[in-house]
Amino acid sequence: MFLDLKVGALAEPISGRRWAEADVVQEVARRTARFQCQGLAAGDRVFLLFGNRLEFFAELLAIWRLGACAVPVDARLTAFEVSTLIAAASPRLAVVDEATDAAVIAVLSAAGVAAVDTRETGSQEATVGLSRLDDDALILFTSGSTGAPKGVIHTHRSLRARWLSLRDHLGVAAFARSLCLLPTHFGHGLICNSLFPWLAGQDLYITPPFRADILMRLGALVDEHGITFMSSVPSLWRLALKMSRPPQGRTLQRIHCGSAPLSAAVWEDIRAWTGTRQVCNAYGITETGSWVAGLSNADTPAEDGLIGGGWGAVIRILSTSDTSVPLDGSLECAVGDAGFVWLNTPALMKGYFQRDDLTRQAVVDGWFLTGDIGFLDDRGRLVLRGRERDEINRGGMKIYPGDVDAVVERFPGVTDVCTFALDDEMYGQAVGIAVVLNARDDATIRALYRWMTEHLAAHKMPGRWWLVDEIPRTSRDKINRDQVKAACVNEPGLELIRILGASGNTAGNP
Amino acid sequence: MTATREQRLEHLQNFLRSIQKPGTPLGSVGIDDSLVDSGLIDSLAIVEIVAYLEETYGLDFAARGIDPETLASMGNILALIAAAGATSATPS
Repeated sequence: MFLDLKVGALAEPISGRRWAEADVVQEVARRTARFQCQGLAAGDRVFLLFGNRLEFFAELLAIWRLGACAVPVDARLTAFEVSTLIAAASPRLAVVDEATDAAVIAVLSAAGVAAVDTRETGSQEATVGLSRLDDDALILFTSGSTGAPKGVIHTHRSLRARWLSLRDHLGVAAFARSLCLLPTHFGHGLICNSLFPWLAGQDLYITPPFRADILMRLGALVDEHGITFMSSVPSLWRLALKMSRPPQGRTLQRIHCGSAPLSAAVWEDIRAWTGTRQVCNAYGITETGSWVAGLSNADTPAEDGLIGGGWGAVIRILSTSDTSVPLDGSLECAVGDAGFVWLNTPALMKGYFQRDDLTRQAVVDGWFLTGDIGFLDDRGRLVLRGRERDEINRGGMKIYPGDVDAVVERFPGVTDVCTFALDDEMYGQAVGIAVVLNARDDATIRALYRWMTEHLAAHKMPGRWWLVDEIPRTSRDKINRDQVKAACVNEPGLELIRILGASGNTAGNP
Repeated sequence: MTATREQRLEHLQNFLRSIQKPGTPLGSVGIDDSLVDSGLIDSLAIVEIVAYLEETYGLDFAARGIDPETLASMGNILALIAAAGATSATPS
C-alpha cells in the first residue's frame, strides 16, 4: 500500500534549511530509488545512525515505501555499542551522515553492512508503495546496547493508531508549526513530537537535540518561526526558564512535557513564560507509541504528578505487577489508592525484537505493565506518584544501569559493580557507580575509566564513583540499587578529577 | 576592594573544578579554549555558570539575556564580568 500520509514542510531553524512539501516528495523519491539500487527489499532493516535533520525524515519515508523497517540509532553510541546492535538486528543497510564516527563506519564494514551517506541520493526517482499495515515499521532500542539489546517494534498499524488517537483527542490546529528539540532516535521526539504533526500535514521545525545555546534563544526562535507547539522534558525548562527571554508573539498554543511529571510550580512557570495555559504532562512510553495520556484541555489547575485521561488508551490501576497470571477485576485499586499503572491501547508495540521472554514479562492479554506507580482521582485522571522501572532519567535521556554494569563487569579486576541514580539539580538524575576492584591504585582506576569511555556513550558515563568492599545483595542474589546508593551517598566518593588529571589523561573525555 | 583579573580567574577556575567532567584536566584548557568543545563541561552545565555569575558578581541575566558566545571560554566570561562593570568585592 501507499502510505496515505500528507506531509507538511520541514525546516531546520538553526541552519536555515527548509524543504517545502514538494521538496520532501522529491527527496523521498530519490532515496527510494537509491535504496532500490542498493537492493533494499520488504522486511529488511535499515539503521539510521544520525537524526534531527531534514534528511532523516526523507530516509524514514523512503524505507517505509519499500516495506522495510527503520531502526533509528542514537548517534552518540560508541562503535562497541553500535556493533552490539548490529549483531542483534542484522541490518541490511545503514544510513550515515558527515558526523558519523569513523570507528562506527569501520564496525559496519566489518559486519558487512553497507553504509550509505544520506547526502548522496543521485537524481533518479522512484515512487512505490510496498508496505503493509502489519509490517514492522520502527524498531527503537531502549536499552541493552552493551549486552542484550531491547528493541521495541512498532508496526504501521500501531503507529497509525497512536497518531489517529492523538488527532481525535487533540486535533491538529495547535500543531500547525511544531518545534522538536528532542532526539529523533526515541519515541517521544520521533513518534509524537515530530511524526504526529508532520504526517498530519503540519510544518515541523527540527533542531539538534539538547543544545544549551539553542535553549538560550528559545524565545526568539519561537517568535521568529511563529511556533505553535513544542514538546519538552523538565530539564529543558530548567535552562530555558532561566536563560531565555520569553517569546513575545504569543504564538504558542500548546506545550507538552514528558519523561518525568512537572511539579505544579514549574508547570505554572512554563505557563507564564509561554503565554498559554495549554501546558500539560504528556505521559508516554516507547512501548505505547509514546504519548498515551494527558490533558486534552490543559486549562486546569497545575498539580504535582497530574497526567489526565487516556489518549486512545484505557488506564487501570492494579494492586499487582505480576505478569505471569491473568488479570482480573478484583485486582483493581479504589479511586485515590495508588497501585501499578497498566495500559491497554491499540498503539501498543508488536513486542520486543526477538525477545518474546521480555514481551511476556510486560504484556498480559494486551495489557501493558508500565512500571509506574499512580492512582486515578475522582475525575478518572491519572496521577503519577513514582516508578518501579530500573532506569536513570538524566535530562530526559533514559540510562539503564544494567548497560553500564555490563561494560564495567568485563574489565579485568572488577569483582562486582552497581550503577544507580543520584539526585541532580540540573538533570533531575545523574549516574553514580559503586565498584569492587581487586586493585585500588590510581593506574587501575584510570584504565577502567578509559575502558568505559571506549565502550559507553558519553551521557551514560557515571559522574561520581565509589570504591566499596562489596555490593550487598538480596537473598535472591539481586542487587538493591537503592540500598547501594544509600550506603554510598554519605561517603566521600573517588577524587576522579585528581586521579585522572594526575597522569595528564585526556583520552576519552566523557 | 575590587578583585583583579587574576583573582577572578582563579575563583572561576575553582568553580569550574566543582562542575567539570572528570576526563579533562582544567590545566589542559586554555583561557580562550571552548569550555564545552574541550570536554571540560557539558553544554547544559552553562546554566551553572550563569548561576555562579549571578551569585558571585550580581550579574542580572534576566535583564540582559544570554549570548552563548559570552560564556564560551574563561576569557569570554572574564570579559563579560569586566564589561558588566562588576564592582563586587573580591569574590568570596
